[in-house]
Amino acid sequence: MGYFDVPDIQYPRYTNRQLAAVPLGLLAVALLVLSGSFLLTGAPVPLGMDFTGGAELTIQTTSSEAQIQTAFSVEPDSIQRIQAPGVDNQYTVQFAGVEDDEAIQTLSEQATAELEQDGNAEIVQQESTASPSFAAQTQQTALLGLAVAFVGMSALTFLLFRTFVPSIAIVLSAFSDLVIPLAFMSIAGISLSLGTVAALLMLIGYSVDSDILLNNHVLRRSGDFYESTSRAMTTGVTMTITSMAAMLVMGIVASLFGIELLASIGTILFVGLAADLMNTYLLNLSLLRWYKFEGVRS
Amino acid sequence: MTNPIAFVKEYWRVILLVAFLAFAMVALFIPGGIMADDSLADNLGDNETAANQSGDEGFTNLEYGIGLDGGTRVSAPATGMMVDELDIDDNDQRDIETTLYAELDIERSDATVRYHENDDRYTAEVFTENVTAAEFASALQSAGLDATEDDVENGVTQETRDEMINTIELRVNEAGLSGGNVYQEATVDGGYYIVTEVPGMSPNELRGLLSDRGDVQIVAYHPDGNGNQTNDTVLNDDDFSDISPPAFNDREGTHYVPVTVDNTEGSDGNSAASEFQSSMNEYGFTSEGIGQCSVHDRDAGEFNFDQDQQQWCLLTVVDDEVIDAHSMSSGLGGDMESGTWANDPGFQMIVPTQQDAQYLSVNLQSGALTAPLDFSQEQTYSTEPALADQFKTFSLMIGILSVITVSGVVFLRYRDPRVAAPMVVTALSEVVILLGFAALIRMPIDLSHVAGFIAVVGTGVDDLIIIADEVMSDGNVSSQRVFESRFSKAFWVIGAAAATTVIALSPLAVLSLGDLRGFAIITILGVLIGVLITRPAYGGILERLLTDK
Repeated sequence: MGYFDVPDIQYPRYTNRQLAAVPLGLLAVALLVLSGSFLLTGAPVPLGMDFTGGAELTIQTTSSEAQIQTAFSVEPDSIQRIQAPGVDNQYTVQFAGVEDDEAIQTLSEQATAELEQDGNAEIVQQESTASPSFAAQTQQTALLGLAVAFVGMSALTFLLFRTFVPSIAIVLSAFSDLVIPLAFMSIAGISLSLGTVAALLMLIGYSVDSDILLNNHVLRRSGDFYESTSRAMTTGVTMTITSMAAMLVMGIVASLFGIELLASIGTILFVGLAADLMNTYLLNLSLLRWYKFEGVRS
Repeated sequence: MTNPIAFVKEYWRVILLVAFLAFAMVALFIPGGIMADDSLADNLGDNETAANQSGDEGFTNLEYGIGLDGGTRVSAPATGMMVDELDIDDNDQRDIETTLYAELDIERSDATVRYHENDDRYTAEVFTENVTAAEFASALQSAGLDATEDDVENGVTQETRDEMINTIELRVNEAGLSGGNVYQEATVDGGYYIVTEVPGMSPNELRGLLSDRGDVQIVAYHPDGNGNQTNDTVLNDDDFSDISPPAFNDREGTHYVPVTVDNTEGSDGNSAASEFQSSMNEYGFTSEGIGQCSVHDRDAGEFNFDQDQQQWCLLTVVDDEVIDAHSMSSGLGGDMESGTWANDPGFQMIVPTQQDAQYLSVNLQSGALTAPLDFSQEQTYSTEPALADQFKTFSLMIGILSVITVSGVVFLRYRDPRVAAPMVVTALSEVVILLGFAALIRMPIDLSHVAGFIAVVGTGVDDLIIIADEVMSDGNVSSQRVFESRFSKAFWVIGAAAATTVIALSPLAVLSLGDLRGFAIITILGVLIGVLITRPAYGGILERLLTDK
């Protein structure tokens, strides 16, 4: 039908166990990574300044990266050069987990005092600071937000389908859609920021779309299981691929341009949607097939 | 197609979309937009402010937040604690306040007892970090009240926060900056942050503006009769009824702020003015004290309170710091001694420099900040205008690139421009309608909103794909009946998917997670506009193109 076609998986050749093994195995690995990281560092994913307190400065200076590294009383966690068209000498400098409020507030003054000015431009172009107690509050709020969103989504799913197995299949694959990107963040060293939390919430809403579509086709339509599945897949995979493409472009371009919020939303959604492809068409599908052929036999 | 009613009936979905698009275009591009007056969205209630802000934003009516326009936002809670629902007799309110000042050894401005008329209860509040909950409770007990340490809550009353917000708004306006915004935000554990956003101010300037308590007092420094000097506060900043702009006295060469002391009589027949007058007479300022103040070396700008002579000085004190000391003039002293001054209680507050006069005037105008902000719990976000401009360009580029990517994938997938082109156009019209809506309610667009717009394009196209696939399943769509039935099947999935997105993002729209509220609001609005207006219209367009009419 198009230049790219959705592949036809020969589902009848695999048992439910075989199908579910891959996503469940990956989920287990992801959970292992998160708990390992929790045991080693005290947090399942590295927490950014939004959640631990600290500062993020965007500075414009002709000083070298090495000079920036030593310019502050607190050592920066990361210095990233912004590579956007028409922009030179701009860096994003992050300080996470700074305990001292006063130190946080003086970082921008230190930048102004220690670094070389680039022409007439102000040295500190952007400043974002959070004191540790404010950050602790944010952390609590974000956790609550995630929990409410997930519970709300689960409740809605049960309300929509009113049967246990198909609903729990959606909830389980949505859970895995969240855990896999979190493990990815832990491995890739991407810290949890407000932007990534937004992405995770968005993922809760986005990722269940294809699951709802699949369940709807299989449960609410007449017709052969495999035929319904293949139709739902044609639509669902197109949807997810389209979103992934948009998110990939946004993630790459925004991180080059130094727009952290858009970059993290793009990256996390890309990884999460990739996980969703697998979870929907292996995990959810195997549970659905079990339900359709064995679960309802009574 | 001659019957207009039949035409509307058949194409109502598309007509609705076009109407909304036209409305959005007007809101976006016609100067002044739909709302010519600023009453709807301008929450400062200051028409001039909104007009200034929208005047220089280029060719759209969009307004930008500090991330895309430059400026600073500081969020911090109020310092203080309170005991609510105290059992107090109506006449004891002031006595209890006085007991609190004495027991806790704090300034008058650092404690208050409030009466809530609505539900007839009293709340005692303390606004300093130097008092512990236990000390506060025991001070209340000394005042004869039934309060324990467990009754002490962190935080201040809504009235206090409202007063603070008012004061900060006045200060921001006094500083001559337009487009400022002050509001409170609730936190999960029941606390509140006071958030101040000011375009065109650096974090240090804004912190300076917010950290001054601005508590102005006139203190009488006079002999106590036993050979020593003593201090008595004779005027507080709520004793003034009128404050004029700073002025300069050519003859004396002094800067001053002309003020009028309040002479409306209270229940005891006294006014602030008459009490001030009688204190001045009692302390001897209007007799032997006239002209007797030498503690202030004006040339050096220094104070020396170690003087051989007896001193009668009026000290101007802001936040416990003496900024000026001067003597009583014979003219003013004479009027006070004869008792006529209180009838026309004008008064010049003399200060050393013009800057001091400006500072004093701002503090008098805005009043003292009822409670200080707790900067140990602050969050700051600020962007330079140059970087904000850069972000504006970049987010436009990112938006365009995302749309191109989505279009590319959709064209690759369907190859049929009759299906793909309206898809892209429909998804874009969602963004246009959203932008129009944002311009209409003057929602300041920030980076998080941009993320929301991109998310809207993403979910929008997803839903359009569902519609297209469903409608085109099993070969061609021959009749309208077949089309309608397939369309409504597709709509169940879209509705369900939209509901999950709205549910997943609604916590963000309500909780105070800084930047992210804009993202959630735009995405939720976009999903709603999509499900109710644009996605049905896409169905209508497809129907027209595919049913061979």
